[in-house]
Amino acid sequence: MLSLTTGLLPLLLAGLLGWTGAAKALGPDVVVTAPKTALARLLSSSERAARVLRATGWAELLLAGALLAAPGSALPGAATALLGAGFLGYLGYGRARAPQATCGCSASEDTPVTWRAFARAALVLAGGLTAAVARRTWWGALGDRPAASAALLAVGALVLAALSADLDRRLLLPLRRLLLRVFGHPLTGRGGAPRVPVAASVELLEHSLAWHTTSPVVRSALLDHWESDGWRILHYSGVHGEGDTARPVAVLFALDATAGRDTPGDPVIRVSYVDADTGAPVAAEELRAAPARRSLRLVE
Amino acid sequence: MNARNTTGVPAEGMRRRRFLTTAALGGATIVGASALGGLDADAAFAAEPSLDPAIAKSSFVEGRITGITGSVLEVAGSGGGHARVQMTHVTSVWKVRPATAEVIEVGDGLYARGVPMPDGTVAADAVWVNIVNLDTTIRGIARNRVHLAHGQHEVVGNILTDTGASYAGRGLTSDLSRLRIGQSAQVLGAWRPSDDSVDVVRISVGH
Repeated sequence: MLSLTTGLLPLLLAGLLGWTGAAKALGPDVVVTAPKTALARLLSSSERAARVLRATGWAELLLAGALLAAPGSALPGAATALLGAGFLGYLGYGRARAPQATCGCSASEDTPVTWRAFARAALVLAGGLTAAVARRTWWGALGDRPAASAALLAVGALVLAALSADLDRRLLLPLRRLLLRVFGHPLTGRGGAPRVPVAASVELLEHSLAWHTTSPVVRSALLDHWESDGWRILHYSGVHGEGDTARPVAVLFALDATAGRDTPGDPVIRVSYVDADTGAPVAAEELRAAPARRSLRLVE
Repeated sequence: MNARNTTGVPAEGMRRRRFLTTAALGGATIVGASALGGLDADAAFAAEPSLDPAIAKSSFVEGRITGITGSVLEVAGSGGGHARVQMTHVTSVWKVRPATAEVIEVGDGLYARGVPMPDGTVAADAVWVNIVNLDTTIRGIARNRVHLAHGQHEVVGNILTDTGASYAGRGLTSDLSRLRIGQSAQVLGAWRPSDDSVDVVRISVGH
């Protein structure tokens, strides 16, 4: 199994380098991506970064070709390991100096460098070293045990794909869309009957005349809420009065627990101030003086 | 009369609620609607100074909590400053939902509104803990979470039992089944420092 793995490594490495190399050397995205890479920061020029990316791409393509053509010799493997080490150093620099910058490794990704890029570069380094000392050709390994080789190649390709952030957008998104289509929307019918969230009651309250009337008194955000006989009670704290007559009050609103901002008709909201110390109602007349305003009727 | 709530409330609290319920239902009835800014989680982001006389004297504190001494929170501002926030017995605390001061922990992010005191502290009316307001794109939907892209960051949003949604500027609803992958979504929620995810309080799409 071990000899099979070392035999097939050049094939996997060539696949990876061929893909990332082609994307960098021939892909149209390089010019767009270059300014976002840590390389642009290192070279302090987007044009230079784009040129270096192109050159790296050609080098990778060359290496991929060499790995395929001369798997028995040590040179392509050693060069691949060197490339992997160079990538690791570059990623480390990028992570330290420009954490938001992208790696530019496959030219089309625009996500910051994560552990996956490091793992991929480390695999290139280790794979290169192994390929350098291996004396077995990939076509020999493939010919000896074709079924096992195919399985191993598939696993290797999956691992490399999982370590490539730019495949997320291409694979993960369609996969998630497909799952929704097949299994239905996972958030449908959550928790039985549709309920009006407390935040909806607060939203309704804060668009109401009741709120307008009491807002000079209210001093807190929502402190507590509960439901009672179809009413939703919202509890705020406040200060009523000025100077010597100022005293802390509990501001209580009672409104229909099933009403939201989209519920037709005018919301009915009950308001009262309760003295925080004595529990006696405060300024009931003041609140009753607020006009009972209704929304304008539409002309038909 | 039976008052109920999702959280367990001690007997003393239930008695107080029953009393306050009676007071609330006996209060003045006001009908009608007008547009006015609020004091809920949204108010944390209201940049405009309020015309409300009670709020005109307010000042805001924002940053990370570096220490808690009794009822005073030490806050290191994200701009480099330092502030001290005095909690009072009527300070309202928001951490995903209305809460008490015990839920505040060192390391939490804080956004507070209050009145400056002569000793340099800010006596808080309201404190919002770990509140975030993110402009995101929905990248995935699962039973108890949504995957969001915020700029170049992947964010996991935890769906709570009381998460609300707003579609095309309409009122809040608990129906989340109209969320779609690929939509732009404004997410109001609370950041969870432990795993860097966000508890979604409200998700607005088509706004």
